[in-house]
Amino acid sequence: MNKGRVSPYLFLVPAFLIYTSVIIYPVFNSIWVSLHSWSGMDAMVFIGLENFRVLFFEDNVFWTALRNNLTWMILTLLFMVSASLGLALLLSANYVGRTFFRGVFYFPFVLSGILVGIIWRWMYHVNFGFFNEFLTLIGLGDFTQTWLGDPDGALFYVFIAALWRGVGAPMILFIAGLQAIPKDILESAEIDGAGKIKTFFSIKLPLLKETFIIVLATQIIGSMGVFDIIVSTTDGGPGNATQVLATYMVQQTFSFNNMGMGAALSTIMLLIMMIVIVPYILFTTKER
Amino acid sequence: MTRKIRTNMIRYIVLLVLTVACLIPIVTIVLTATKSRADFFSGLGLFELPQQLYWANFTTALFDANILQYMWNSLLISIVKVPIGILVAALAAFAITRLQIKFPRGFLIYFLIGMMVPFQVALVPLNGFFANHGLINSFWAVTYVYIAFGLPFAILVLRGFFNSIPRDIDEAAYIDGCTKLRLFFLVIFPLAKPAVASLFILDFLATWNEYILASVLIRDRSRQLVTAGLMNFVGQYGTDFGLLAAGVLIAVIPVMIVYIILQKHFVEGMAGAVKG
Repeated sequence: MNKGRVSPYLFLVPAFLIYTSVIIYPVFNSIWVSLHSWSGMDAMVFIGLENFRVLFFEDNVFWTALRNNLTWMILTLLFMVSASLGLALLLSANYVGRTFFRGVFYFPFVLSGILVGIIWRWMYHVNFGFFNEFLTLIGLGDFTQTWLGDPDGALFYVFIAALWRGVGAPMILFIAGLQAIPKDILESAEIDGAGKIKTFFSIKLPLLKETFIIVLATQIIGSMGVFDIIVSTTDGGPGNATQVLATYMVQQTFSFNNMGMGAALSTIMLLIMMIVIVPYILFTTKER
Repeated sequence: MTRKIRTNMIRYIVLLVLTVACLIPIVTIVLTATKSRADFFSGLGLFELPQQLYWANFTTALFDANILQYMWNSLLISIVKVPIGILVAALAAFAITRLQIKFPRGFLIYFLIGMMVPFQVALVPLNGFFANHGLINSFWAVTYVYIAFGLPFAILVLRGFFNSIPRDIDEAAYIDGCTKLRLFFLVIFPLAKPAVASLFILDFLATWNEYILASVLIRDRSRQLVTAGLMNFVGQYGTDFGLLAAGVLIAVIPVMIVYIILQKHFVEGMAGAVKG
């Protein structure tokens, strides 16, 4: 049997080289830089774990950023996941117009986070934005807000923009998961007299397990790395109220020229992400 | 029967309300783009239309503010990056799923751990390397970086699809004297067309929408990609809301048109891609 003389490993070479040079090498380089004090211009000075010590024990902004990432993750798990599952349940039945509605709810996801952020910053504009104009129009002028200018609410308002953009993606995954449930199981449940709610909790939900794993993994990763939509709405402000690890990392690196601190922050992001991704990868690559 | 009609009614009402809510931001942008700066400061409300539509917003955004140029740059990079990236990923996925190599799962895991590396991690090393080698502003260098970041997801998707192609095909092809390369290019890759099509759309979108690498690795204004270009545009024309909205619309419209034409592929691609 002639399978050709080309070694099978040659097929891996382009991917391996490109991937290793752009992703794996910088990971180690970044960890190395995180152990130094470095402005990017002068010589690097080795300082051990000093950057991490400063972040953990002396830097309030770091804790704000970390807390905001966790808040974002909780908001995502609460609202993004339940809203997308709700829409999927609403849109998985067979009736006229469902393709249209799916298309509408999924559409914002094809826009970039930057674009969505710019759009919503305008929606929240204090003087001319949609929300304050609308509240005034319907006679609720007393309820107008400073929105993104409010340190306590800004993160939540940015999250609403992210929800608008992102809800369609897990929705599509849930719809696919729901449609994969065999019809006869649902029919026999109906014959046995199970109500809608019972069917949902004891049949649909357990059978959506794999979909849930994908959705939760992607949403948690997304929450830890959230960046574009924050940069284009509040850029971490007001004060540092909406700072997250990714925005703070970029600020340390490019505004404060503190490469070591930036690298330390990205190392921390990487470690947090590993906790989620490693089990996920082991699960998806399992031979079935 | 009446009960069924009632549930249907409720369903449609809920869906219509949600659809309206979902379209509000886009409608707001359209309304804003019709107004000049003077309209806003003379007290014209957001929901009122001006006496005359202010078309100058669109021409200014397209040409003076360079948005057309930014979109062209992004298009150039995307149409080079996406096909090459998919081919490179497909070769690797082919070796992992269908060739006799040692540790196929090890290689797969090696490629997939890239999914947990945020762009920020690569930012400092890449920025340093690019600056030292005169590669800042180079489209080729950015394309190379984008190819790398697209690989983990593409390999995950293609590996799932290749696994679903029966192995007898390989045996039959080898017996007929097919080489590995011919098997890949003439049999397996063409069979993966549905996966490749959805991957093409998702990958194109990811490239088009990427921001942080684009903003750091390309500094020259005229070479900027659409996301970073839009951020500059916003910074530059801060309070000219009509103009900003026109710029946003110009960036939204091509994506919207492609989306409407290929909607089925977007929606099914997303589900198919992850299921594999």
